[in-house]
Amino acid sequence: MKKILQLLFVVFLLTAAFVPVFAGGGGDDLDLPAVSGEPLDPNVPGWTLDTSPVRFEWYLNFSWYRGIWGEDPVSRYVTEKTGVDIEFIIPAGNEADKLNTMIASGNLPDFVTIGWWEPQVKEIIAGGMVLPLDVLAKNYDPYFFKAAVPERVDWYTQEDGHIYCYPNASYTPGDYERNELTSNQTFLVRKDMYEALGSPDMSTPEGFLNALSQAQKKFPKVNGQPLIPIGFKEFSDTGNDSLENYLMNFLAIPMEKNGKLYDRFADPEYKRWLNVFREAQQRGLISSDVYLDRRTHMEEKIAQGRYFAMLYQYTDMRDAQGIRFAENPNTIYMAVDGPANAKGDPPRLAGQGIAGWTVTFISKTAKNPDRAIRFMSYLMSEEGQRDLYLGIKGLTWDVINGKESFLPKVQKLLKDDRAAFDKKYGASMKYWMLMDSPQVVKWEGQPESPYKELSEWTKPYTVSYAAYDNIDPLSFEPEGIIGSKLSSLWGKTLPKLLKAPSEKEFNAIWDELQAERKKLGLDKLMAYKQEKVNANKKKLGK
Amino acid sequence: MLKQESLLTRLSRQKALQAMAIPGLIWMIVFNYIPMYGVIIAFKEYRVINTIGNAPWVGLTHFREIFRDTDFFLTMKNTLGISLLKLLIGFPLPIVFALLLNEIRTIRFKRWVQTVSYLPHFLSWVVLGGIMIPWLSETGFINELLTKINPGREAVPFLGRPEGFWMLSVLSDTWKEMGWGAIIYLAAMSGIPPELYEAAVVDGANRFHKMRYVTLPCIAGTITILLILAISGILNTNFEQMLVLNNPLNNDASNVIDLYVYRTGIRGLRFSYSTAVGLFKALIALVLLMGANGLSKKYQGRSLF
Repeated sequence: MKKILQLLFVVFLLTAAFVPVFAGGGGDDLDLPAVSGEPLDPNVPGWTLDTSPVRFEWYLNFSWYRGIWGEDPVSRYVTEKTGVDIEFIIPAGNEADKLNTMIASGNLPDFVTIGWWEPQVKEIIAGGMVLPLDVLAKNYDPYFFKAAVPERVDWYTQEDGHIYCYPNASYTPGDYERNELTSNQTFLVRKDMYEALGSPDMSTPEGFLNALSQAQKKFPKVNGQPLIPIGFKEFSDTGNDSLENYLMNFLAIPMEKNGKLYDRFADPEYKRWLNVFREAQQRGLISSDVYLDRRTHMEEKIAQGRYFAMLYQYTDMRDAQGIRFAENPNTIYMAVDGPANAKGDPPRLAGQGIAGWTVTFISKTAKNPDRAIRFMSYLMSEEGQRDLYLGIKGLTWDVINGKESFLPKVQKLLKDDRAAFDKKYGASMKYWMLMDSPQVVKWEGQPESPYKELSEWTKPYTVSYAAYDNIDPLSFEPEGIIGSKLSSLWGKTLPKLLKAPSEKEFNAIWDELQAERKKLGLDKLMAYKQEKVNANKKKLGK
Repeated sequence: MLKQESLLTRLSRQKALQAMAIPGLIWMIVFNYIPMYGVIIAFKEYRVINTIGNAPWVGLTHFREIFRDTDFFLTMKNTLGISLLKLLIGFPLPIVFALLLNEIRTIRFKRWVQTVSYLPHFLSWVVLGGIMIPWLSETGFINELLTKINPGREAVPFLGRPEGFWMLSVLSDTWKEMGWGAIIYLAAMSGIPPELYEAAVVDGANRFHKMRYVTLPCIAGTITILLILAISGILNTNFEQMLVLNNPLNNDASNVIDLYVYRTGIRGLRFSYSTAVGLFKALIALVLLMGANGLSKKYQGRSLF
């Protein structure tokens, strides 16, 4: 016994010796050395002042990204020009796992790029793990403010007056006026099958169910494998995008009523259509693979043309569409009118917003924050955009008919084989971390078949939901905990609703769901979001 | 009479042996003992913006929430269900398998069976799951086979429903681990002195008698110890297996405590709450371990400590 006690004592001593290692980090104030010498000229791009070699680690919260900086001429050209070399860090599995582990360790790579909707955006700002870009710019690169678009800076300026991240693919209200908005939310059908059925109207429940079962009867197999009558985006712990906001937008369910945020998940029209999907399930029109497949499985099946219809994001099936087009242009997917509400209102699809797609941070643990902010300004500036979009003059682009555009052979490869294009040139925003979509429009060629039809179709129905972006609470705030409970409840209930054997049971599950949502604190969460929406509207000047 | 040596003398005499134990000890300190300090966040409201030290104390708030959480009880039910089934099926099978292996006379054949049986142990669940998911799907190999045998039968999405998931997970886990689990019993059997068998033969024992009256009693100690460990691990399910096989359709039967802790903690960023759940689980496991150990000590005179 005595021996054991002695051993334990040693163990505890050792433990105590190690503990401070884990208790450190975080909390201290910002202390940036200013540049000595005369004040910097805001008209001179900071990156031109110092082009000595420097290497940054850049985290991308997207496990599907395959780019490697330096593998193509464009990235090598940028490195040569600015001295900046980049090593991308890409999660191998679940993104949240990787990112949260890095956050917990208190050590972020120099640059961090994540989707604006991710809860970690607020966490790392609140945790002081990222540097305020405005302070960095003042100290090292006033040119940043010239490269940045003021509306975007306003949108991402936090309550403390600082801006910590800058978006890509962001459209300001002015951009909507200059370019017609498009949405990526579409209802797609396989062209040859749809036309063989006589191009039926699928916007009513009867027409919808009928078309699916007709398709299944007429085309039971595709290349020897069963036809999948309808597909959605992948199911997750928290539900399914296609059956949530895609469907709601197709049904034109309003975001607010009488100036108050509306609970779209309790809408009777939405319920009516979920029941239609339940009936489809009951009639054997939704195969169980639909619930289990991941995006890679889906893309493979789309490329094989195994779906008849899909409520899907067409930007996620570009490659598959290309394969179908090459195989037989008649078997591509085309956008048609999807589910509509009882009044037959046109859909209200989500267009691009000011929030954009991803946001990029410079972390507090960045080794060369001065070079980092300068490189960021470069990427945001017109010159950086041109370099990453058009590439190298003479190699990938030139002035053709007075317009800066890709050389014809480059354009052809881009259209035919994006993967080969990425390897051979690396232009056309292969490195999209800070792409300014409204700006690069001027270099884009005419959109081509079979892709342009899909985006064209969405134009009349696209609206901006910008005021409803960035309204979710922090995950550890009381409302955030309510939010995560609500979404996990929804994620569990959705398959049950669809799998309910009768309408009666569907209604019982629905009623129980709504009661449970109220019980978990839905009203409190809605009040929180209402406040954020009001603030957003003020920012947007509405 | 032996002279009592001091601790230091003994340590210095065994220094070679002690040195071999040191890496293991360090490993345990670094990966098992030091992280224990972090357990205090179960009583704090830890967020990524705090350090473990400066997070505010909240007492038992998180533990109270556990009992109000309907998800927790579902995961508890699934964990217990799967573990008890595993204890019932997965625990005795390796013993039976080891007994049978021990009776094989041809050494070559025995070695071959043994190697084949523990090969699946080295497959990771990610790989095995990747094989199982398509095999068990509605249009998969298993359904095709069953439909060939009985053409009137309707295809069943085995992993796409909660019914039968427990059994499926227990059977697949048992298949994977049975051969490996038998090794320890085989080792125990190889230590049985042959005189015992010879004496039994003289007394007129046949092979079943020998198995029943010699082999089994001789490995009873090993069985008891492994049983005690298995009971204390009753709230542990195979995390990797569940992570791979869980999907929205079978979630009602496959959401287990470990998965729940992972989801609320790592994905949901609620570190404190999930630590509380984990700690609560560890507490129950400790009680079970002590209980099983105590009972075994009392009735069998054998125990872990």
